[in-house]
Amino acid sequence: MRVVRWFIALVILAGICWWFPLFHVATMKTATAEKAAVTFNATVFAETYWTNQLLASFAKTVKADLLLPAIQADSGAAKIKFARSLGLSASYFYFVSGSGHVVAVSDDEVSLAIMPASTNTEVSLQTGLVFGNALRDGTGLLNTSDYPNSQDFNDISAALNHLVEARVLPKLREQAKVGANMSFVGCAEVDDETTDLKPLKVIPIQTEVQ
Amino acid sequence: MKTNWLKLALAIVLTTAALLFTQNSSAQDAAKQKIAVVISTMNNPWFVVLGETAKARAIELGYDATIFDSQNDTAKEAAHFENLIAGGYKAVLFNPTDANGSIANVEKAKAAGIPVFCIDREINSTNAATAQMLSDSYSGCVKLGQYFVKTVGKEGEYAELLGIVGDNNTWNRSKGFHSVVDRYPGLKMVAQQSGEFDRAKGLEVMESMLQAHPNIKAVFCGNDAMAMGAYQALVSAGKDKQVKVFGFDGADDVVKAIAEGKIVATGMQFPKRMAQQSAEFADQYIKGKRDFAQKIPVPVEIVTKENVSKYGDYGKK
Repeated sequence: MRVVRWFIALVILAGICWWFPLFHVATMKTATAEKAAVTFNATVFAETYWTNQLLASFAKTVKADLLLPAIQADSGAAKIKFARSLGLSASYFYFVSGSGHVVAVSDDEVSLAIMPASTNTEVSLQTGLVFGNALRDGTGLLNTSDYPNSQDFNDISAALNHLVEARVLPKLREQAKVGANMSFVGCAEVDDETTDLKPLKVIPIQTEVQ
Repeated sequence: MKTNWLKLALAIVLTTAALLFTQNSSAQDAAKQKIAVVISTMNNPWFVVLGETAKARAIELGYDATIFDSQNDTAKEAAHFENLIAGGYKAVLFNPTDANGSIANVEKAKAAGIPVFCIDREINSTNAATAQMLSDSYSGCVKLGQYFVKTVGKEGEYAELLGIVGDNNTWNRSKGFHSVVDRYPGLKMVAQQSGEFDRAKGLEVMESMLQAHPNIKAVFCGNDAMAMGAYQALVSAGKDKQVKVFGFDGADDVVKAIAEGKIVATGMQFPKRMAQQSAEFADQYIKGKRDFAQKIPVPVEIVTKENVSKYGDYGKK
């Protein structure tokens, strides 16, 4: 009788452990893979975002030959109409495209005249080290509220900046010659209107010599 | 007899007036709703400004407001939340102690129907708090990093004092700074240690760093309290002219130190602006508004000797 009671108790215990296991056994390989899957990888994200979203969003840009006269006429009105900003920030971004001819080339920038017959630098394509959030925040495609940890969101900025430095700038530096006609798509951050609008400093996402 | 009647009439009038006055004032008290201001630590002047400003704005808006000091202790913070939920508070203006450890407290308040508005520090969740008003530490430290390279140069040894390791601001600041400075291979970080956002700890860590690395040219500190501690250590060691100090917060004593040429730069976080806005959000919520953006970045501006005259009193003049 006692043996039967013990047997029943063991069966019940086994049943409880089956339904509510106290621990799981996993191989190191599986555990590492599961952890990696949970950890946000900004580099992988940026690669996918670049191909699937960013390059497909150029229709959302404002044309430089429309934006520059608008800024010239009334920078405040141009900001309201064409710019985007984040939270309570006073700085803002333009997602801009256009074409012009190269009027100067230096280590850190390619200067373009945009308006017909102009020889002034109206857009400066930035070709030095890329810092900040213009590429992440300038397009309006990414929203900080979608990211539980802001570190992940900030890592996206660094990853996108590296992509521009690796994919866009080497070709731009090689092809940009004074007098050449060039088209571009990029993002501009305006932090200080006295220095950032004339010329408009654009971090390029795509450039083509025509 | 006439005198007695007069006395009786006067007594009735006075009693009625007293009763009316008491009822009126308790009706006013009952109508005043309560807002809790839970702050990670009141042992840092910057957070005192944050907490006091939030409280003052809540009172201006017609609420009773109380500050709870978590003393950088998640257990104390959890106890505050238990108390404020039981105490009938209508909203919480919350400066968390830990990005992950504080989520459970916010969820408890949410389950009790109390909205929580995070200020300055983040929790790693997008569906617990009603809104989070966060300093854009990363962008601020990108700018600080650029100014660091401009003033320190592209070569030399430097050290970094990190904040509290469990706080996202610590890493957003550090990563923003390094996203710039690490691009210059000549700049070598020879020491990196937590000073826990604390002035005394910052002083202590800086002292030991100076002993191990006497040739550093600069120190980047994750907040102004540590920057002041580091500066004190440098003065004691006679190295305050050799080592450039960079802070972050926009604390009044550091802004003054920048004007006096003792500290090179800091990031102004605008605590008053964040605190006032969070109290206004709570007021709007209580009055029925529900559509708040989850995370609202608040810009950070760098304060240097070139523009220091524009800043003071925890903001822009």
